[in-house]
Amino acid sequence: MKNIFVKSFVLASVAMMSLSSCQKEYLNPSTGSETQVLTDVDGLVALANGLPLRYSVGRQSPAYTIVATGGLTTRELAVLNAGNLDEDQLLRGGLGVDGNNAVVRNLWSQLNLIKGNSDLIFNNLDKVNDPGLKSGLRAYATIYRALAIGTMAQFWQQVTVETAPNANFVPRDETFRQAITLLESTQTAIAATPISASFNARMVAGLDIPNTINALIARYALFVGDYPKAIAAANKVTASSRSSWNFDDVTRNPIWDVALANVNVFQPLSLNMGLPNDLAPVAADKRIDFYFLSRTPSTTGVFRGRGFFTANNSPMPIYLPGEMSLIIAEANARANNLDAALTALNSVLTKKTDSWLMGADLPAFSGDRTSAMAILTEIYRNRRIELFMSGMALEDSRRFGRPATERSRTWMPYPAIERSNNTNTPADPAN
Amino acid sequence: MKKKFTTSMLGIFSLLMMSFASLAQNYNIKGKIADSNGQPMIGATVVLKGTAFGTATNAAGDYSFNASVKAGTYDLEFRSVGFANVSKKITLGSANDLNVNVAMIEDGMSLDEVVVTGSTLKSTRRELGNSISTVSAQSIRNSGTNNLAGAIQGKIAGAQVTQNSGDPSGGITIRLRGIKSLAGSSDPLYVIDGVIISNASDNVSQLAPSSSVGSAVVTQNRLADINPNDIETLNVLNGAAAAAVYGSRASNGVVLITTKRGKSGTPKVTFSTSFNANELRKKVFASTYGKQFGFAELRLYPIANVSAAQIAANPGTTTAGILRDGATTNLATNLVDVTRYDYQDQIYQTGYGNDNNLSVSGGSEKTQYFASISYLKNQGIVKGTDFQRYGLRMRLDQRLNNWAKMSVGLNYSNSSSNEKPNGNVFYSPVNSFTITNNIWDLNNRDASGKLQRVERARINPLSVIEDMVFTQDVSRTINDIQFNLTPLAGLSVDLVAGIDSYSQTGNNTINRYPYALEAATAGVALGANLFPDGFAAQASNKVTLYNTDLNITYQKQLNDKLKLTAVGGFNYQFQNKEFITSGGENLSPFVTTTRGVSRSITTDYSLDRFWVAGQFVQATVGYDNKLFLTAALRRDASSIFAESEVNQLYPKISASYVIKEDENLTARVRGSLGDAGGVTAIGTYDRFWQFGPSPYLGRPAFNAGTRFANERVRPERMREIEFGGDFGFLKNRVQLGISVYQQNITDLVLNRNLAPSVGGLSKTDNVGEMQNKGIEITLGGSIIKQKDFEIDANIIFSSNRNKITKLPGGTVNIVNSFTAADGIAFVEGQPASIFIGRIYARNPDGTLLLTPQGLPQSERGTQTAGDPVNYTINPRVDGQPSGSTFIRTVVGNPNPDWTGSFSSNIRYKDLTFRFLLDAVQGVSVFNADKRTRENVGIGSLIEAELRGTAPRGSVLAIGPIEEFRVDDGSFVKLREIALSYRLPSIIKGMSNFNISLSGRNLISWDKYNGYDPETNAGGNSDRLRGTDFGNVPIPRTYQMSLTASF
Repeated sequence: MKNIFVKSFVLASVAMMSLSSCQKEYLNPSTGSETQVLTDVDGLVALANGLPLRYSVGRQSPAYTIVATGGLTTRELAVLNAGNLDEDQLLRGGLGVDGNNAVVRNLWSQLNLIKGNSDLIFNNLDKVNDPGLKSGLRAYATIYRALAIGTMAQFWQQVTVETAPNANFVPRDETFRQAITLLESTQTAIAATPISASFNARMVAGLDIPNTINALIARYALFVGDYPKAIAAANKVTASSRSSWNFDDVTRNPIWDVALANVNVFQPLSLNMGLPNDLAPVAADKRIDFYFLSRTPSTTGVFRGRGFFTANNSPMPIYLPGEMSLIIAEANARANNLDAALTALNSVLTKKTDSWLMGADLPAFSGDRTSAMAILTEIYRNRRIELFMSGMALEDSRRFGRPATERSRTWMPYPAIERSNNTNTPADPAN
Repeated sequence: MKKKFTTSMLGIFSLLMMSFASLAQNYNIKGKIADSNGQPMIGATVVLKGTAFGTATNAAGDYSFNASVKAGTYDLEFRSVGFANVSKKITLGSANDLNVNVAMIEDGMSLDEVVVTGSTLKSTRRELGNSISTVSAQSIRNSGTNNLAGAIQGKIAGAQVTQNSGDPSGGITIRLRGIKSLAGSSDPLYVIDGVIISNASDNVSQLAPSSSVGSAVVTQNRLADINPNDIETLNVLNGAAAAAVYGSRASNGVVLITTKRGKSGTPKVTFSTSFNANELRKKVFASTYGKQFGFAELRLYPIANVSAAQIAANPGTTTAGILRDGATTNLATNLVDVTRYDYQDQIYQTGYGNDNNLSVSGGSEKTQYFASISYLKNQGIVKGTDFQRYGLRMRLDQRLNNWAKMSVGLNYSNSSSNEKPNGNVFYSPVNSFTITNNIWDLNNRDASGKLQRVERARINPLSVIEDMVFTQDVSRTINDIQFNLTPLAGLSVDLVAGIDSYSQTGNNTINRYPYALEAATAGVALGANLFPDGFAAQASNKVTLYNTDLNITYQKQLNDKLKLTAVGGFNYQFQNKEFITSGGENLSPFVTTTRGVSRSITTDYSLDRFWVAGQFVQATVGYDNKLFLTAALRRDASSIFAESEVNQLYPKISASYVIKEDENLTARVRGSLGDAGGVTAIGTYDRFWQFGPSPYLGRPAFNAGTRFANERVRPERMREIEFGGDFGFLKNRVQLGISVYQQNITDLVLNRNLAPSVGGLSKTDNVGEMQNKGIEITLGGSIIKQKDFEIDANIIFSSNRNKITKLPGGTVNIVNSFTAADGIAFVEGQPASIFIGRIYARNPDGTLLLTPQGLPQSERGTQTAGDPVNYTINPRVDGQPSGSTFIRTVVGNPNPDWTGSFSSNIRYKDLTFRFLLDAVQGVSVFNADKRTRENVGIGSLIEAELRGTAPRGSVLAIGPIEEFRVDDGSFVKLREIALSYRLPSIIKGMSNFNISLSGRNLISWDKYNGYDPETNAGGNSDRLRGTDFGNVPIPRTYQMSLTASF
């Protein structure tokens, strides 16, 4: 009896102790690890799909924060509930917007993350053998890197263009130029090695790569004052093209989801669309009905926006055909080619519809056709209307030299999270 | 290395098994044990030292047991809690029957009390270099709560036990000597009868709010499954004291729970039943003044900017421009009539509960058993909330032969609860009241009985009660098997295998609000975060923990003075957690599960598992039973440590010296120095940079984790030094215990912020350092002790100072849903989790510096670079603050200056009166609800604006000033009060019949401007503490209970 007991006891203890001879490490079956994702084509493709996801989904996404920051600082938008303190601070502007503002912080952080994730793709392109697929990945990384640094340059005077510890800050003009250089070199590369159909089939629909590259070159060339390049690139964008961020009920249109759906965060301030009374859209302008649910406010005085934000799954444009026309108009006007400027401006004014079903349907420009000033003012007015709630308003208000009283801030302060971890962070702008 | 160790250990072990002698003889030893008054002592234990034989006395104080041992001289040891051990030398020779009677003397100092020090290891107090607090079954009884953690509130020196929510299944946290980790939990390790159990707060029933609560942990902790009635003793060990056995998991301290066991003798049946009522202790102020500014539909009328369009749409509206921080807000100034309601009446109820326990215990000489069954149901004070628990347990002790014992514990419990959304979301029951202007009749229903809308964009608080169903159900089993072998004199081998396994399921339903569409069509919709189209989610959590411990102890009296106790051991701990959720929106009518959802459908799966394995050796040398020196060393490895960090060593030394020990005076001093580790901050996969997949329009998408990997993950490490003394005065009737300690915690894991320009937002690193130092004093004793009249009293005082001493990478902000992003933070040089915010501009005399419009304002100045709390104030310009920066600094500290308690038992004949006063002092609460109530228009300040006694704009003015929202959270509570009467036996054979009336949390003395300063919107979070945002207040409880033993 004792022997049996001793044996079984020893056996039991051996069994228990041997439980310890188990795996040395456990991998997470629910995520990919760095080595898995960055050394494998499928991982890189999924990472490329993550770029538009990070750019466009959620309240922290640039798609939301760009519209909020651009719109709240330029009287496009009104905050409905002052409990949304960060949005409310942007609306009020001034000193209230500091490095702790969550909207501003998200704008900065997420754009930097997109830049960093794009660089992960760039740095690991050598792991991809299929040339058509490699071209596609390069194009995605290029567009999102350019969008990331270019968008930052629309809100900050200096930008962290590199992905590095204690990154250097680069003046905004230089940032735009670097974005253009990157876009152009990739344009050349993908012309030499076309993107394969199999790559496109693996990506989330919406992004029109060739047209988007040209649209971004045009946009940034305009901002940096390279007018011939802006005109050339804008002309290359197919008027009927559509390039968009797409959504569904899970990954929702952020402006609709956060603001327009619940009427608790922000809505358009008024039918003026952020413009002073003398520039306010005329009543016949059909774009008012494109961007507003109704021209009559609710009993509580709230106007409700519409535009590209009408449902969870409303697509948001990456650029608008109208923007291209207005770039051509503005670049020509600034280069004093007034006829070309008027032609482009009138194409926007008289447009009945476009690939996004928007059209002012107004008569052609009737002001002083010899005054660059008058034409530029009309271009400004039309940019603010055509590109309403696109986040472009602050950049435009500044570039057109509008009085500072028409906006609550001119530049954004650098977020505290960057400042406290990067000694190169420049001093904050006064306003 | 580990394998080798295991193999050699087993070799020695097997040899031992084979080699012992077996020339045993049978003896019967019996006798009677009495106290100094000659009263029989019940349940005193008798052990034949160096063997596994022994028993306990019956109700008459008699004992009897058989021992099969070699002839020779033995020590017969008698023990009973509260009495000095008695040791009698006996000689076992030719006579087979021995009769040994003893009288035991009370020992208030309990120097010979045997305490569990981890796993199967035990020690007498006199040998211990650390203080170990013990709570007995008796002091848990009649505490008016069915939660074990609640039952020990105010009873342990150095422990801050906080009930975070008044929900019947709400969480309770225990923190021993302060916060230990910044990224992880500071929750101690819980061990029941040698089994490491989970006290996780996994969320299966609060899935709707989970997306918006930040760091908060808003759900019950699994200690809720433990029935306090099953507990015999609970020992609390601070980090270093438990390090030998629990090494990498000991730094938070260890709570060792021993459950009740059977004793030889006739079967004893104990039945207890209680009935309790819970009620809201105090309502908060909600204005019922029938006025409002602007017009009835003006939302947030105290602070809303009224637009020209609104004025046009609502004739009669007048406004005034109020300047705040350089920006003007046009506030409505005209008054309109409204009817106000107190919504609290609609949310709260009186909840009732009952708790029933039946146990049977007894046994023969070789077999002892304890079996119990229990059932508990308790309703909360929020309508529709309750908690139910039933349990079965069994403990069987079996002597296998003269050198081996086996013990088996089986335990099953089922806990289930009906919950409402916890704090942190605007649709929790309390927040729905706080966040809604109370001018709507909640009970205004349409013809078919459906609820109507309230303020647009808010939900009707009754919708929370009627249309939200959050439930969870936990089936849990905790089992252990132990072998205790004494193959040779002085040598014992203990083997424990334990399993804690539970399956937790949750159901979450938010039905469509009947008025969702109406709100949407009127131009203001319910936010998507309120799930206007309904929400359903299910979660399932399967957790298994097992541990095996092998401990070999060798004791030898080296000469007449010197005694050696050496212990070596090996243990292995494994934990596996599998969590599955699914959910979605747009719920079909009448369906309450995920099958009815048709939009925003999400599913998730996570698997979390790790093991920790280690070996230890420990030796104690005792000299003359007066001086004891202990040294120990442990080595740990784990699957979660980085390759380079697999060899974690934890050394420890301690000493205890009994200076004086006689009938009048006892004095002992002790000290210890040791290391312990903590792994709660380490995620299973922290060694890797995680790329998370996301659903995205039917294509696989990865986002690189915003948190970079920690390449050198290793445990957080605490070095604790402790000195103390235990003294008995006045014939040892008054006992004083003092401990002072300092804990230096290094290698703290921090998820520190990165400059976003590096392509990530944070990175985990073992880089932080923190310090806890403090003092604990216990003073207690018997004031009067007579046959019919007794008074005793106990005072516990604990003070801990926590300070983050090193925080590379700067301040860590703690994400939550109610402060600015940096409102609660870890800051170097400050205690953990301080509140940071804007402060009032003040005049030199401390009064508020008002704006020209007569309103308070934020202070301006220059913030010291890279410093979130230091600043200089700019000079006044025209008597007003100047500059462009609003300074931010510490506005509150959730770490109390001190905690303490005072308790007393007063007995006259069969009547006993008991109370416990529990104090937490010098602590702040971030009272987010206070501003919310003002902003929506139901607070006292806005009522003053309406009445004209405060200037218009007062509420607007304090909006950005966090200082306004921080309240003094100090309190003294009448935690427990009980009156018990021991009835004469009315039935033959009944040995004990008690009836008692008790109350819990009846009174709180505090200055808090809310329900209760003992609260936490962060739930069980150790990072987010002392915050109040829609929390369920802790109820006042009355209980009547009846206990009978046969």
